[in-house]
Amino acid sequence: MAEPTASPPAPSPSHWRTQLALATAWSTGVTFAGALALTALVLWLTGQPVFGTFALMLRTALGSKVGLADTLLQATPLILCGLACAVSFRAGVFNVGVEGALYLGAFAAAWTGFTFVGLGRLPLIAACLVAAAVVGALWLAVPAALKAYLDVDEVVSTLMLNYVALSVTSYLVNYPFRAPGLANSMSPAVAEQARLTRLLPPSQLNASLILALLLTLAVAWMFGRTRLGVSIRTLGNNPRFARVMGIPVPRLMVLTMLLSGAIGGLAGGSQVLGVNYRFIDGFSPGWGFDGITITLLARHNPWGILVTALVFGMLRNGGGMIQVFSKVPISIVDILQAAVILLVTAQVAVPSLRRATS
Amino acid sequence: MAYLVLQEISKRFGSVQALSRVTLEVERGAVHAIVGENGAGKSTLMKILYGLEQPDSGQILLDGRRLTIASPRDAMRHGIGMVHQKFQLIPSFTVVENIVLGDEPARAGWLDRKAARRQVAELLERYGLELDPDRPVRDLSVGERQRVEIAKLLYRQAEVLIFDEATAALTPEEAEGLFRILEQFVAGGKTILYITHKFSEVFRLARHVTVLRRGRVVSSMPVAEATPERLARDIVGAGGLPDLGGPAPSSAPGLGPSTSPDPGPVILDCQGLWVVRPDGVPALRGVDLAVRGGEIVGVAGVEGNGQAELAAAVVGLTPVQAGSIRLDGVPVDGASVKERRRRGIGWIPPDRYTLGSALASSLWDNLIAGEVDLPPFSAFGVLRMQAIRRHARQRMETFDVRAPGPEVPAGSLSGGNLQKVIVAREVRDGLRLLVASNPTSGLDIRATAFVREQLLHLRNRGVAVLLISTDLDEVLQLSDRVLVLHRGEVVAQFPRGAATRETVGRAMAGSHEPLAEVSSRG
Ligand SMILES: Nc1ncnc2c1ncn2[C@@H]1O[C@H](COP(=O)(O)OP(=O)(O)OP(=O)(O)O)[C@@H](O)[C@H]1O
Ligand SMILES: [Mg+2]
Repeated sequence: MAEPTASPPAPSPSHWRTQLALATAWSTGVTFAGALALTALVLWLTGQPVFGTFALMLRTALGSKVGLADTLLQATPLILCGLACAVSFRAGVFNVGVEGALYLGAFAAAWTGFTFVGLGRLPLIAACLVAAAVVGALWLAVPAALKAYLDVDEVVSTLMLNYVALSVTSYLVNYPFRAPGLANSMSPAVAEQARLTRLLPPSQLNASLILALLLTLAVAWMFGRTRLGVSIRTLGNNPRFARVMGIPVPRLMVLTMLLSGAIGGLAGGSQVLGVNYRFIDGFSPGWGFDGITITLLARHNPWGILVTALVFGMLRNGGGMIQVFSKVPISIVDILQAAVILLVTAQVAVPSLRRATS
Repeated sequence: MAYLVLQEISKRFGSVQALSRVTLEVERGAVHAIVGENGAGKSTLMKILYGLEQPDSGQILLDGRRLTIASPRDAMRHGIGMVHQKFQLIPSFTVVENIVLGDEPARAGWLDRKAARRQVAELLERYGLELDPDRPVRDLSVGERQRVEIAKLLYRQAEVLIFDEATAALTPEEAEGLFRILEQFVAGGKTILYITHKFSEVFRLARHVTVLRRGRVVSSMPVAEATPERLARDIVGAGGLPDLGGPAPSSAPGLGPSTSPDPGPVILDCQGLWVVRPDGVPALRGVDLAVRGGEIVGVAGVEGNGQAELAAAVVGLTPVQAGSIRLDGVPVDGASVKERRRRGIGWIPPDRYTLGSALASSLWDNLIAGEVDLPPFSAFGVLRMQAIRRHARQRMETFDVRAPGPEVPAGSLSGGNLQKVIVAREVRDGLRLLVASNPTSGLDIRATAFVREQLLHLRNRGVAVLLISTDLDEVLQLSDRVLVLHRGEVVAQFPRGAATRETVGRAMAGSHEPLAEVSSRG
């Protein structure tokens, strides 16, 4: 238009992003502080030393090289599962089936690892990881298609599938693939050369941390710098608008769930190749579900997921020690996490209320 | 001292000073109109009064008492209520339930249905709000839903009622109904704050009018002393009216473009379109429609007679049960929305919030979402941020989008500026057909003139324009040909010149000689 004075002074382009990042960091920080306070309350009510417990956790998790390594070890599957959930959540697809993809991916990696023992080191590791990703992705293909083309609620279908995954893999390692001569239900061990390098022995921390970091970078890049990222954001922010813009919504939903399954599968596979060296029945303490909490807390920002997963890893690691050295059971970590979930839910609910009123 | 005073209110959002020391004195028992260009700060000021935003400084006085308004709940406690653009009603609840929700009459902790119904019925009766208390809200029209919102405020004893562009979504008949309700409120001593872009509403309703520009009060006067020219000048600023739309003479008020210089070949050709709504009711019954390049075809009709479905069918969002759609002679019936966009169909949707944008996404996301896989925006799936930013800046400049930059979320823009973003996106290179559904809703006079001029521009460049608008004046001003949709059928067609408020109005109401007035088809 004819009036050039109209344009307001242009601030630096990073200004808004900085503001947004600050706001996210602030709300995440507040959430954690709130969760800590709630947990402190529980400790206090049950007559346990509040500061002593927290101090012990911190010291265990960060106080030594091994402690630090174990924190990173605990964080690795959490990072991967957080990313797995983020990929579909960002598109508005509430896929809670990462846990199932993790189990099947783990089994696929283990099977590849103990079957193709003749392969060299790198080819075998690559084959194991590819198998994990592909099987994880395929596992979510059915609920993805049901959601995208028949509008079947993905929360229900993927949640159910988690139990199916647990049962199926349990059957597999109890019957057809049970390791001979072992009392527990586990598969044979993967070939020596399929095992990932340990980064800081004696900790079990291994090269899958690097995989997790690379994937964080990759997902961040995908969200921010690719056209797939634009489509995912648009779909997640307003599905009706996405349709108007001609974004192939069903296809994109399927794609995000496949990606999510693939990353979930990698989370399982890397646990097999890096820590257990075999598939163990029921090995996950619920990483796939923790991933949901983590991505919600981080608002699907990959770097936020990284940080949040590290904090959760710290809690898990520190919590394990509490149990040994004090009367506080490890469930204190679950209480902490539950408090986080509650607070996140409240935050998610309130802004949407606010948006509705404006 | 005035009844309600907003004193020296300032509010800043990041780098944008939305309000600078705005003072507003509102008389009791009258309508106080607030006008001003897009982004002037009108909605922000009212959100502060209603507790949705907090001012950085300034105070609010009611009847001489200073109020603290931290939330809408506080505002309601002081008798201040706001009718929202986006209604907050529960579709499956009845009118009564929606009205009392959150503030129910209770007996021993249980909802006292009888009392609730009686109170609501009394209320509706007293204020002459025509509503059936027992109908579920999902069966109500937009105008009726708005009345439920109003009744909600009355039920909570609001004395000050805020309306933000209340007629934007209403048909002219519904708007007239709203005006009568407002007049009655005023007669009953209630105070109304009324934001609008339509001068006719100011003169029809208000006793006092305040003009905001860039977050400041530029003038405030009794309506008796105001003239449309004065208001326009105050709204637009020093440049005054000559600024209103640039060089094209067509943009002068009363815009009367000569018929299209050179109507080209038929670009959009719909034949026998049938669209059945999900509830089984046919929304379009065998619509034939052709739009040539270099021609604006206006579709008039009372909202709900098939306009929404016509647009959705053409852009590919709604399946068509029978009939066919051709673009440039090629059938596009099986083509996806994306393919149709690629072949040159653009759409300005009727609702900028639900269909036209993603509020949480940045402006540049919103500007390229449909074209992100085309050069120069991406190559091999990777975004080319420089090209995207340059494009976004250029569009924002051309369409005078007032925003700090392309990175800000669309939700932080004022209503009118968001509408400009949408128009900027759809008026793009390679366009063959533009479906424009209420393209100027929420725009100030200057932006309205600019967008209308863009439509004429497109037409002169040989683009086909299908203009679907509830604003009859807009349709009459711009169209080379006017069709009237009534109950899903094209009941009349008028060439330019034969289309007047009277002839078209009669056809809209359903009384017509079937297609008698068709002269030149296409
Ligand atoms: N939540 C927000 N965050 C950032 N900026 C905002 C926010 N809300 C409003 N603004 C800015 O404040 C200014 C005033 O906006 P406001 O919505 O009050 O304008 P308006 O007068 O109602 O305009 P319109 O006629 O277009 O509705 C605009 O520049 C807008 O971009
Ligand atoms: Mg506004």
